Amino acid sequence: MAFLEINNINKLFGKDTVAVKDFNLQVEKGELVSFLGPSGCGKTTTLRMVAGFEAPTTGQIRMNNEDITNKPPNQRNVGMVFQAYALFPNMTVGDNIGFGLKIAKRPPEEIKQRVDELLSLIHMPGFGDRYPFQLSGGQQQRVALARALALSPQMLLLDEPLSALDAKIRVSLRAEIRSIQRTLGITAIYVTHDQEEALSLSDRVVVMYNGAMEQVGTPFEIYNFPQTEFVASFVGTLNAVQGEVLDPTNQLLAFDGQTLQTAEDLSRRQRGDKVMIAIRPERLSFSSEGKKPNLIDCTVENITFLGSIVRVQVLIGSHKFHMDTFNNPFLALPKLGDRAEITCSREAVLILEHPGKVEALAPEV
Amino acid sequence: MRSRIWSWIILLIGFIYFFLPLFATFEFSMRMLKGRYTFEAYRVAFTDPRFFKAFGFSLLWAVLTIIISLLLVVPTTYWVHLRLPRLRPTVEFITLMPFVVPAVVLVFGLIRVYGRYTFFVSVPILLIAGYVVLSLPYMFRAVDAGLRAIDVRTLTEAAQSLGAGWGTILFRVIFPNLRVAILSGVFLTFAIVMGEFTFAALLVWPAFGPYMEEIGAMRAYTPQALSVVSFLLTWGSIGVIQRIARGAPGQGQIAGAR
Repeated sequence: MAFLEINNINKLFGKDTVAVKDFNLQVEKGELVSFLGPSGCGKTTTLRMVAGFEAPTTGQIRMNNEDITNKPPNQRNVGMVFQAYALFPNMTVGDNIGFGLKIAKRPPEEIKQRVDELLSLIHMPGFGDRYPFQLSGGQQQRVALARALALSPQMLLLDEPLSALDAKIRVSLRAEIRSIQRTLGITAIYVTHDQEEALSLSDRVVVMYNGAMEQVGTPFEIYNFPQTEFVASFVGTLNAVQGEVLDPTNQLLAFDGQTLQTAEDLSRRQRGDKVMIAIRPERLSFSSEGKKPNLIDCTVENITFLGSIVRVQVLIGSHKFHMDTFNNPFLALPKLGDRAEITCSREAVLILEHPGKVEALAPEV
Repeated sequence: MRSRIWSWIILLIGFIYFFLPLFATFEFSMRMLKGRYTFEAYRVAFTDPRFFKAFGFSLLWAVLTIIISLLLVVPTTYWVHLRLPRLRPTVEFITLMPFVVPAVVLVFGLIRVYGRYTFFVSVPILLIAGYVVLSLPYMFRAVDAGLRAIDVRTLTEAAQSLGAGWGTILFRVIFPNLRVAILSGVFLTFAIVMGEFTFAALLVWPAFGPYMEEIGAMRAYTPQALSVVSFLLTWGSIGVIQRIARGAPGQGQIAGAR
């Protein structure tokens, strides 16, 4: 039995605003699961239901074999880290960390020892007497993390904890959060709208859209094998185009006069079926060795230098595609307006569900 | 350069407008003895036992009003911020009623409704209730501004996730972070109650306001001295608010950098 079970959760605000629908998830002990999605997708609402700040309209939440659906938040023993840090401004760092322990009526010596222990864990020994306003954003969030861990909670919930920080601190702090979570072996749910954060931190990622789960999987699965059009478009950059099945037996697809071979199973489809074809930019490359399984004629429209990679925009028929290639000093790139041939493996050609959302997927031009 | 001169002129006009009458009052209060400036009017005021009695009663009414106002306004405003934000305009409108309904109408309303019951007449309950209503706009606005400056919901949820119940949240998280706002409301309420006349006079309870009026009707210089004392009291209250606001940890800090 999983440590956390979220069973058939639905959440309605008012009569008809559906915030979360048919949400099911099982989280194992010690696992870090991220909820990833755009604003308003229901990820924070789901987290708040686990924390007890919102009650589900229907469904059940079980933690450690106990039904906690209607348990008040102050009795769940769940640590929470908020986007706005939420440190108590009137208390010192030490008092903030020891707040939960004081409420639990632990002896003062134990509180002091635990506070010192946690200050060391977050690499801030000696900061106990400072006030939150004397700390940087990153330090405040570390203290918030220590405070959430003080009571050794059953579970740690993090609601976009790094969103208010600058990019550099975000990267270092997310590594620190992951390291602390692994060291303590604590089960955690991490809410974010930052795909890089979710992919780099998590054991599993739940991609959400419009209140529903789109896909659950490891970061590798989510990125490389997106199951829906939304997941493919939200996680990473994607070239997507509407095409049709040309030959189901030989797994051939067609779009704009081009033929592509895919590794996906087309046995249930028929010739002429409309499908959404998607290829990641990094799976495309210039063809230099003649015939490959998927050889596509194109015109080079734009070349953008992005540091470690070079992004090339090409025109295939009437569709714009992006192609990413690693930068190196000897890279030979075509000129703007040149005709070129690009290629990709069969495995790189994905077929996505929900073929109705073509516009949303078109790469940025 | 030209705009700077105008700034000084405007400042000077403002200064004269506010301080000239006050200075005139003070100057007049010093002329009790013919031909020289003395503090005789102040000596007379402070040696009158009725002054201390009236002042003491007003002090008591002020303290009672402050306690009841705090118990009524802080939890209500907190709850409105936390759970019923849509009700905020309604609550704000209700608290503004004392600006719309004159005190004399309010007090006659209270007398008409409750005057027939001996209990309401024998204890200063109507007086304190009236003062609470009078101070509502000031207390509510002060507390409301304080609550707007902190992230009430997140702080509450953070405390809840750490095991705190409502009492702990209110007294250990919300109240301390509203210290300056609450003190502003407290001192404004204090200043209002200390100088209030209508309620105390019409409900026939001893207070500083009716005493000043009585003295004013009989003497020339002592009321001016009392007016100056009254001003000093108000300024003293404001000074204390400023002092505390400067000393409070993390003032201006909104539940972390946002």
